[in-house]
Amino acid sequence: MAVDRRKVAIFSAAFVLRLVLVCLFPSLPDLLTGRVEVSTPVNSFKRLQEGLFLYTRNVSPYDGGVFHQVGESHAMQLRGFSINSIVQQAPLLLPLFALLPDVKSNPLPSAIFYFIVDLVNAHALANISASGQSVQSRLHSAIRKHIRWDGGSVAAWFLFNPFTIATCLARSTSVFTTTAILFAVSNAVSGNSINAMLALGLASYLSLYPALLFVPVVLLCYDQRAPKLPKIAAFIIQNASILLGSVAGLLGLSYLITGNFWEFMSATYGFHLLVPDLTPNVGLWWYFFIEMFDSFREFFLGVFWLHLASYVGGLTARLHRQPLFVITSLLGVFALFKPYPSISDASLYFAFLPLYRHTFPFMRYTFFAIAAILYASLLGPAFYHLWIYAGSGNANFFYAITLVWSLGLSILLADSIFAVLRDEWEQDHPEARGSEVKQV
Amino acid sequence: MTDEKGDSTSPLATASSDSKPTAQRIPPETPEAISTRFLVIATFWAVIIFLGFPIWWKTTSIYRAHLPIQEMVDWADGKTCRPVFPLEIQVAAPGMQSPESQHLLRTTQHALDDLNEFAAHHLRLKLTNETSTAQQTEDSMEVASNGEEAPDTALTVRVIAQDGLVVPKAELHADTTQLDVFYPPSQVPVPSSSNPPLSVFIAEELQRLYGEEKATVAHILSGEKSGLDSVNPQFAESISRRLRRSMKYADTYHLSFSLFTPGPEPSSWDIEAAVQEYLSPLLHAFAPISNFTVDTQVQLYATFSPMAPPPVYDEVEAAWTLKKEDLSAFVNAAEWPLNPSIGNGPTLNFILYVPAPSQAPMMVKENRASSWIVPQWGGVFLLNPPLSPAGKGSNPAHLSRDYLRPAFMTFSHQLLTLLGTPTTPASLPLRLQTLIRIRAASLLLSASSTMGSLARLTESLPSIPIPATVASSVSITLSHLSSTCSHLRSGRFSAALATARVAETEAERSFFEKSMVGQVYFPDEHKVAVYLPLLGPIGVPLFVGLIKELKRVVAGWKARRRAAA
Repeated sequence: MAVDRRKVAIFSAAFVLRLVLVCLFPSLPDLLTGRVEVSTPVNSFKRLQEGLFLYTRNVSPYDGGVFHQVGESHAMQLRGFSINSIVQQAPLLLPLFALLPDVKSNPLPSAIFYFIVDLVNAHALANISASGQSVQSRLHSAIRKHIRWDGGSVAAWFLFNPFTIATCLARSTSVFTTTAILFAVSNAVSGNSINAMLALGLASYLSLYPALLFVPVVLLCYDQRAPKLPKIAAFIIQNASILLGSVAGLLGLSYLITGNFWEFMSATYGFHLLVPDLTPNVGLWWYFFIEMFDSFREFFLGVFWLHLASYVGGLTARLHRQPLFVITSLLGVFALFKPYPSISDASLYFAFLPLYRHTFPFMRYTFFAIAAILYASLLGPAFYHLWIYAGSGNANFFYAITLVWSLGLSILLADSIFAVLRDEWEQDHPEARGSEVKQV
Repeated sequence: MTDEKGDSTSPLATASSDSKPTAQRIPPETPEAISTRFLVIATFWAVIIFLGFPIWWKTTSIYRAHLPIQEMVDWADGKTCRPVFPLEIQVAAPGMQSPESQHLLRTTQHALDDLNEFAAHHLRLKLTNETSTAQQTEDSMEVASNGEEAPDTALTVRVIAQDGLVVPKAELHADTTQLDVFYPPSQVPVPSSSNPPLSVFIAEELQRLYGEEKATVAHILSGEKSGLDSVNPQFAESISRRLRRSMKYADTYHLSFSLFTPGPEPSSWDIEAAVQEYLSPLLHAFAPISNFTVDTQVQLYATFSPMAPPPVYDEVEAAWTLKKEDLSAFVNAAEWPLNPSIGNGPTLNFILYVPAPSQAPMMVKENRASSWIVPQWGGVFLLNPPLSPAGKGSNPAHLSRDYLRPAFMTFSHQLLTLLGTPTTPASLPLRLQTLIRIRAASLLLSASSTMGSLARLTESLPSIPIPATVASSVSITLSHLSSTCSHLRSGRFSAALATARVAETEAERSFFEKSMVGQVYFPDEHKVAVYLPLLGPIGVPLFVGLIKELKRVVAGWKARRRAAA
């Protein structure tokens, strides 16, 4: 029970820390909600509130016609004159939040709701860590198993990560996507493929892109249940139908809520796919599409989405022995290349990384990557302020910082992949352990 | 972004490359590693080929609606339609017997055909019943414009016997389309005479009436280059002068009437009533040709431009005079608020200038005129009102409708000139009819040539998109052009102008379609700059990987063949 007591201590400390932050700085949640690094159009709590206001008054929050403003000039969009629908979040969040008391008059219940969601996430993460999938799977067994953190430490790393705290305080709706992904993975590591698929369906329903995690999650489930399930193709098809069924069920529920299927489909998934709102964020899309000629817009939307999706096949093929690491790397890729990334995506990636503590000794650019990420996180808000409020900078200031942020993340991503590959290679060639390697 | 792709593929390369330096100590890559690498490269290329290329094809393909290119070029080249202008002229000879009048008609037609050297524009005489009067002519005109088949009647000639005349005499009604020809009763053509003097007289009179129109039409049809000298040299000067002054045709003109005065008075004018009374009838008559909007303004303390030479007091005339060559500087374009354009369509400015009492009366030095036309811009009228009796040396505070009468008579005349109305036949309805024919011809030509330009544009730039709206505009234009042509052929000129206006509007719309214009300035070379910065860095590692893999496969295949052989 010693471990449990430690976990309880960590969880309550995280809860109290958040509560203290909210109570000591009552304006902090609203400040964070307005930050572009935290809130993107697809996860902004403010937009959800506006939609909720309409929803509770029986006005469709998805009315507004996303497609009418695809060709809108970017100057208009930068100044926030977007005329798209108010909400880009999935419809099921609306009745959920309608249950909570009004945020303006009584912010604490919803804040505490978010704290609890964070704790639940941490719990799922601790479960994943406890399963030991990261060091010991069906086809792979790491050599340095002894160098690892237990579930409590991984959960603490997640809970006390400033990015996670900021996301939680900003009440970003990507928290729920995080929850769904974490539950999918934690069910997958215990071999519970049906629950995993249902959770992944929820994640895909909320944010679309987690659907790309299907293949590694199925592989992860398969690894757990391999002795009993000889046919992988049938298993994949079975799980794909569960995933499709769960997504269809959620969409059906949403249809019951909104009453207009295509309206909310175009306002949510159309918004994810077509990227009409080019409000600055920490990602790489907005600047590119501001500069892009209108006639090439569709083509490069295709290129960017394919680029994002193309990693699934390559990473899964190369790292098929460690599907959990494929999921980790893909989460890193998403944090980099998705259309509306925020620091919550990075925080999810950072939550998974400590599972691979045993490969850290192989990483060579940790200092550089961490320095770049810290540099970007400190200077990003400053440069955004210079651009938008002080007027002494321009869009390039902020974009340069997001490039540094992406550089740091990508170095971390590539380095971790290298470390895991090196670990695999050492397992295959035990005689060469400890020899110098050179990356070409 | 670019280094990202390189980074994430480099671990793939790592698996193979980090074994090479240590190859002397450990066995080379296992077949499993090789097949994994092959699989990795294959998945990337599968995404590119099966998803990337279809998306590229779908999103960068250009929608080009089908245009009837050949038909458009034919219109532009004038192969489809040769515009002709058969004018129907009704002849009424109430005082003659039927055979006599028919003989008169025949001989006059002969004489006309002999005089006419421009085949596209010809007059056709037609005998009407004897009681034809001006009133009935009006009726028949209405019927003609209502009924589809009957051609417009251009002119009614009434041949009336009058005693006490030696030679025939013609009299054109100024406000109707009627020409009265008086002849001495002795000159009634006898059926035996082949060339009676009355017929010759009528023919010459008609020829004179339509001379200017004929020259103008010839000028337009010949492409405004060589037509002037070849057809009718005597009209060349007047036509070119008129074309220099008149505005380009527009569907809508904005008329702007401005009262300028250097002092505080007059500060109001009875402009609404004046426009209503003096101008509205004219604008109404112009309705088939163009639409008009009218706006007005009063500007007090409007001073001359400092650059302009001030008026000079002339002792002989007892008036302040402006030199003719200084008139171009009269309008103070920098300070007087004269809108260059209101909405779409050109603006015609009419300026009523009331000089200060200290400078009144004002006139043009050379010809004592008080008004002039600014070519393609508008007209100016100097109004010298009687000084108000109340105080010596002050202008009246209000200009009543009657004060404005001379000014508006002049403005009407200037408007006619600016709109390109020909000068010669004294009758206004005839001049307007002429204008209808001239405008129909020029619109037909201009819409046709726009079609030709559009056809050439789409042919020469295969990369510009052609939206469906352009195709539908083109088909509307072409159908209206052909109905214009058939209306012209059968002499229904008002209908021809109406269809030609639609054709011109649609032709302009299709030619200036926004989504096409934007693409014109996007040449193919720029696509390199669009594609390369992102796709180049992504593509290089992918291609290198593919080539390495292919080399390996080819080498393995060769080795196997050698082993087999």
